[in-house]
Amino acid sequence: MCGIAGIARSEPRGVELPVLGRMAAAIRHRGPDGYGFLTGPHVGFAHVRLSIVDLSGGAQPLASEEGRVVVTFNGEIFNYRELAAELKARGHTFHTVSDTEVLVHGWEEWGPRMFDRLNGQFAFALHDRSTQDVILVRDRFGVRPLFHAERNGNLYFASEVKALFASGEVEAAADPEGLDEVFTFWGTRPPRTQFKGVQQLPPGHYAVWREGKLTVRPWYALAYPEARDESTSAIRELDALMRTGVDLRLRADVPVGGYLSGGLDSSITCSLASAASPFSLRTFSVAFDDPRFDESEWQNTLAHELGSEHAVSLISAGHIASDFPDVIRHAETPLVRTAPVPMYRLAKLTRERGIKVVLTGEGADELFLGYDLFKEVSVRLFCARQPQSTARPELFGRVYKYLAGAGGGEFWKNFFLDAGSSDDPLFSHLPRFNLTSRIKDFYGPAMRESLGARDAMGELRDDLPADFAKWSPLNRAAYLEMTTLLSPYLLSSQGDRMGMAHAVEGRYPFLDYRLFEWTAALPTSSKLLGLKEKEILRRWAKDVVPPSIRQRGKQPYRAPDAPSFFGEGSPAWVDDVLDADRVAAYGYFEPKAVAGLVRRARRGQATGFRENQAIVAVLSTQLWHQQFLEGSLPEPLPADGADVLMNDATVLADR
Amino acid sequence: MTAWTEEQILAKLRGFIEQEFLYMRPGVQLSDDDSLMKKGVVDSMGVLEVMQFLTDTFDVTPEDDEITEANLGSLRSTAKFVHGKLAQSAA
Repeated sequence: MCGIAGIARSEPRGVELPVLGRMAAAIRHRGPDGYGFLTGPHVGFAHVRLSIVDLSGGAQPLASEEGRVVVTFNGEIFNYRELAAELKARGHTFHTVSDTEVLVHGWEEWGPRMFDRLNGQFAFALHDRSTQDVILVRDRFGVRPLFHAERNGNLYFASEVKALFASGEVEAAADPEGLDEVFTFWGTRPPRTQFKGVQQLPPGHYAVWREGKLTVRPWYALAYPEARDESTSAIRELDALMRTGVDLRLRADVPVGGYLSGGLDSSITCSLASAASPFSLRTFSVAFDDPRFDESEWQNTLAHELGSEHAVSLISAGHIASDFPDVIRHAETPLVRTAPVPMYRLAKLTRERGIKVVLTGEGADELFLGYDLFKEVSVRLFCARQPQSTARPELFGRVYKYLAGAGGGEFWKNFFLDAGSSDDPLFSHLPRFNLTSRIKDFYGPAMRESLGARDAMGELRDDLPADFAKWSPLNRAAYLEMTTLLSPYLLSSQGDRMGMAHAVEGRYPFLDYRLFEWTAALPTSSKLLGLKEKEILRRWAKDVVPPSIRQRGKQPYRAPDAPSFFGEGSPAWVDDVLDADRVAAYGYFEPKAVAGLVRRARRGQATGFRENQAIVAVLSTQLWHQQFLEGSLPEPLPADGADVLMNDATVLADR
Repeated sequence: MTAWTEEQILAKLRGFIEQEFLYMRPGVQLSDDDSLMKKGVVDSMGVLEVMQFLTDTFDVTPEDDEITEANLGSLRSTAKFVHGKLAQSAA
């Protein structure tokens, strides 16, 4: 796990070391253990290294045996041993025992057909010196980030956008349409980003830069070939997939830890890891001093059961406010929730305790239909079939316990029932998209003008895959969840960015592509049975996790929101970014509306969903603008400190 | 004995809703009979705020079974409801 960056020029005017040095400096937090460069007339690569596999031999950039292919790589290829054996059998000579080397030989042997063979989480750039091509590749589900921009006939790429700007050759500007997607879906839809003229390579895609032209192509697509019946061997198959998925992700030359949320999914990953790991497991949890968010009881139960060495990051509202600017700097995007902040602090604690790699339960809710959203879809469809029924809407109270009582139930029932027609392809997500879109009530005139009649949801409808309509409503919902939330927000703003801020790599056994494909082919009823979520996973887990955890209902992960930023102890930056002149100057939000919001927040009244998310959106957007659009260039990492310093003439000699 | 007429209650309510719930949407036209919930003016937490306002301003606290769309769904229905409650307590 590392950070990568680079430039490919259409004219051979060279890629200078100070430029690469600045790009590397901007993402040094991702790789504090070393760095290296490749420079050449057309192509320059940078790499910052977090040593996990082949601690002594894994420095990068790395070239193939004859110097034909050079790679800069961020991530893990979990099945590298098997691939290396296959490549050796075909005559390739390996000089390291790192997973990185598999990529250069694999490219020589298979070209783009290599990608299908990779089981991992990765973003890398290859320079094929035989053709002068540069190839960018991103994993199937978007675990690892990869951004690119084109300016004046040059291609720039990096793990984080800040490295593109650090080149000094890519200017930072806001993309109102990207921001509008954040305020609809919680994140931008690839290839769009929140920065004008900066793209992200979509998950499961690769791009080829040839003679000054970039061509992006898919190499993996999500599909849901749902079976009618569950196979009689399903539990056995699931057992094998879960265990091998965890075993592969324990491959490392450093101890692997586990994040423990207290829910079923991370209990499974930690239990399997504890049983299979050669090291005694270290577990890490977020706890809250506000009992509405806290799951300590369950975390402690499992940590005790596993006998793990357990550490807890206790989060208070003050932490949310104090760390929010750092979180935005790492996330590089406005946010509509504060939930990344505890993950940022958890990674900090994990690193302080000497752990670089953690397994987490991310992905299980998307694969096994664990989220309340999927139950909500079922109830809405059930109600739509008999609109006159008054009993059916009562089921919403069983999905969302907090809807019962206090007069709110009726509002929410109407909200869900009126959200949209079941014929709409976005049916499942309309309540969330519509609720999030209320942030747009706060847009200022400049933002409204630049967006015009732009319809973010309409564009999503137009971009859905051809088979989408053939999938069942719940699989459609799962697809939307995977593509609009998991990759752009959960794996990014709550995942990669918060972990890598402290050089902690997350690994996700549930996002093993073999498991995804297996669950996608299950009958939906094996995943959501009535209102019982993750049904087959619970059935299988009976011998893996304690009954108290297995039978526990799902608690959504949430963190303290708007009130954290106001009242006693409010940090100075809050007033600074909310200054009416600054709000007007940045132009995203209407100053009067923001003033009204702040007035209510200071009185403790802005506590509903809509105002809560608006406060987080306004604060984060203002911070984001300040940090990225008014930023300065970092000092470059010096060439004389590099572990690898390769140029066109020395690719072979330095190998 | 209440001095509030239904029209006065309506005006007071409108002022409250505009200041607290429509401050970010000054251009939105809200008629007395529009559904506050369906029009996206108040949400679940907003209902609680409206109830608190009724208690603070008119000394009227709706019972659980009175929290319905019919009683509190629009500006006019809420004004009618409050006026009725005040008349009841005065009787």
